[in-house]
Amino acid sequence: MRNLLWSGFLIMMVLSGCGWDGTPTRPNDFTKLTSLEIVANSPTIAALTSTKLTVKGNFSGIFTRDITDQVTWSTDSPTVAGFTNTAIPNAVTGHIPGTAVLTATVGNISNTFSLTVSNATVTALAITPATPSVPKGLTQQFAVTGTFSDLSTQDVTLDATWASSITTVATVSDAAGSKGLAQSLAIGSTQISATFGGISDTTSMTVTAPVLQSIAVSTTTPSLLSLTSGTFQANGVYSDGTSVDVTSQVTWSSANTAIATITATGGTATALSEGTTSISATYGGVTGSASLKVTGGHLTGITASAATTTMIKGTSSALTATGKFSNGTSRDITGIVAWSVANTNIATVTSPAGNLVWLNTSSTTSGTTTVTASYSTLSSTIDLTVTDLGVASIAISSGTMDLTVGTAARLNVIATLTDNSTQDVTANSTWTTTDATIASVDNTLSATIGRVNGVAAGSATITATYGGSNITSLVTVKTRTVQSLTINAVFGTTVATGGQLQMRATATYTDGTTQDVTESATWSIDTPSIAILITSPYQTGLAVLPKLVMGVGTGTATLSATFGGKTQTTTITVQ
Amino acid sequence: MKRTCQILIALCLPLLFCGQAKAQHSGPYVGAFFGGNALMSAKSTDSQGNFGLTYKPGLQESAVIGWDFEPGNPVGEGRIELEYTHRSNQLDRVKFTDGSFTGGGKVTADSLLVNFFGVFHDKRSWSPYVGVGLGAARMEASDLIVTGEPLASGSNVVFAYQFGTGIDYALTKHWSIDLGYRFFGSLRPEFTESNGKKFKMDYYSHNAVLGLRFGF
Repeated sequence: MRNLLWSGFLIMMVLSGCGWDGTPTRPNDFTKLTSLEIVANSPTIAALTSTKLTVKGNFSGIFTRDITDQVTWSTDSPTVAGFTNTAIPNAVTGHIPGTAVLTATVGNISNTFSLTVSNATVTALAITPATPSVPKGLTQQFAVTGTFSDLSTQDVTLDATWASSITTVATVSDAAGSKGLAQSLAIGSTQISATFGGISDTTSMTVTAPVLQSIAVSTTTPSLLSLTSGTFQANGVYSDGTSVDVTSQVTWSSANTAIATITATGGTATALSEGTTSISATYGGVTGSASLKVTGGHLTGITASAATTTMIKGTSSALTATGKFSNGTSRDITGIVAWSVANTNIATVTSPAGNLVWLNTSSTTSGTTTVTASYSTLSSTIDLTVTDLGVASIAISSGTMDLTVGTAARLNVIATLTDNSTQDVTANSTWTTTDATIASVDNTLSATIGRVNGVAAGSATITATYGGSNITSLVTVKTRTVQSLTINAVFGTTVATGGQLQMRATATYTDGTTQDVTESATWSIDTPSIAILITSPYQTGLAVLPKLVMGVGTGTATLSATFGGKTQTTTITVQ
Repeated sequence: MKRTCQILIALCLPLLFCGQAKAQHSGPYVGAFFGGNALMSAKSTDSQGNFGLTYKPGLQESAVIGWDFEPGNPVGEGRIELEYTHRSNQLDRVKFTDGSFTGGGKVTADSLLVNFFGVFHDKRSWSPYVGVGLGAARMEASDLIVTGEPLASGSNVVFAYQFGTGIDYALTKHWSIDLGYRFFGSLRPEFTESNGKKFKMDYYSHNAVLGLRFGF
């Protein structure tokens, strides 16, 4: 009860500090404007020169604000001085020697300024800045100051005539509203000149290589599942407007390395735990960034498994690691964990590619050891026994096989040991066909070893050889026409982020037969930010491996399967 | 406001050591509350941008009519009540891009809320409670000025709500006093500036109240 009471007071104290403390963006136009003040660099200008006037408004004596842009200007002696520069309304130009009274008006408030136009003539000009270097693509505003016969000085930027000697290197504006503004165009040097009253000055402007202005970071995978990787690209935008791929030159970093890390070079990010982080690319003092969202929770446990834990010497078996994640999902992480064997004289681990990992037993040494899958501080161990037992017999999963041209199915070889135990030796068998033009068979140690592919109509005999024994399967390949195609969602079409769905495609042919064509169909998903297709881990004992769909982000995506000219779709919902 | 919080805490501390409770009241009750409120600095927005309004702390008065649930009822221990509250705050400062200026006029909020309070009874005389109220409020800007010039006026009825917590202390079977805190807020009321433009402003306030209830 006391805790409740104190919680209430705590909330009250926290709230008491609230309130808007932002920066206003609206000016005060409620307080009345009561007077104006006209400000000029000098009350005297030379004939044929100009100067900008500014007006400071006084609001009831409470505050002042520059209101030059609200002023209407007028002169009592247009022949002496006037506002003839339409591009710069507050610039007054002296025409002939004399005095003019200039009036600034805002609403019903006005004030005057007495401007004297002298008969001084210019004797020298000086351009500033002198000899600037400007990266290609950038601009440089020049100014020119005139020294006059009465020894006064005055900015005559608005009155001078500006020119560039090599306009392919840089141009300089002589337009009324932008006099003296140089635009660099190409690497090189040019002479910038200002001429007024018959007097000129020049300065050299050097255009240098373009400089990096910004970095645009992009990725095709703004949302990643934890323990998966994605690549980022960095494009440098230079001062000349060019965009250059600087992915390999930038230094990459992640704002929150508990959520995702990224290699300092290369831009490959590894998602670790759920959340959002900012991926930054820095080069030459310029930084760009993009957001990376990690879904699928964080890894909380690993379960390692092997097809069999008692193996004959000199055989291979697939290893599998399943990760358990904090959002309650489990998924295959075989290719992500680090595999190790305690006694490498007994067995070794090889990882050909992706999520395929083989456990290979020694052909000479038997015994027991452990195989460990580990990631960070988590691990899982398999107890392995490599036996001296011999092979009593072998059997093939199917003595006959009926395939349609363009489809495939797997054969497996099971060895029965002298103690009547069995082991799948598909991966260690040698596979041959009597006619590869009718039915071919994969014979390399990969995830497809033992898979028979129907090539053309006819019959062929597939032979598997293991330990000196042969066993065959008669394959009949037929040409059939697909009548319809269906997608079978083995465990439904709804999945959590990071979870997996098993899909199968079944073709119904015009002759009334059906066939699982999951491995032969072409699969696609329209929204990879919602769900992606992943390769099924190698499994023994299945004629056709399922297609796996993994949820990446919440929403719906359309899964398509195409086979034999037929396409079927289904909607995947990721929660 | 922090000072206010400290005072409230100090006032409430002795209640932790109160004696045995009087018999718990159930049935209808009426009550009256009086207190102070601090209207938080408000972001105000019109077509020209944002500006800030800061108010002086003000007073508030409330009247309630409600029903104390009987002990052990399936709804839970607590009460439901209809509350009318009048809050008023003087405009103190107005912050524009040009600076912060003296303001004037006042903003009043007349709210009618249905409150649901859960009361945590035990053997002591005092009972803490928490709750929420929902309803509507009529907001009125009365002759708001800045630097002596008209700023805005007008009125608006908007959705309003409050969160409340506090302590009931049973004096007798029928009479009890209530020391509470309320956080009151509403959707942004819209007023009319002196130049004819509309502007909306935030309305959130902290309120400390002391009340007396009589149960029938």
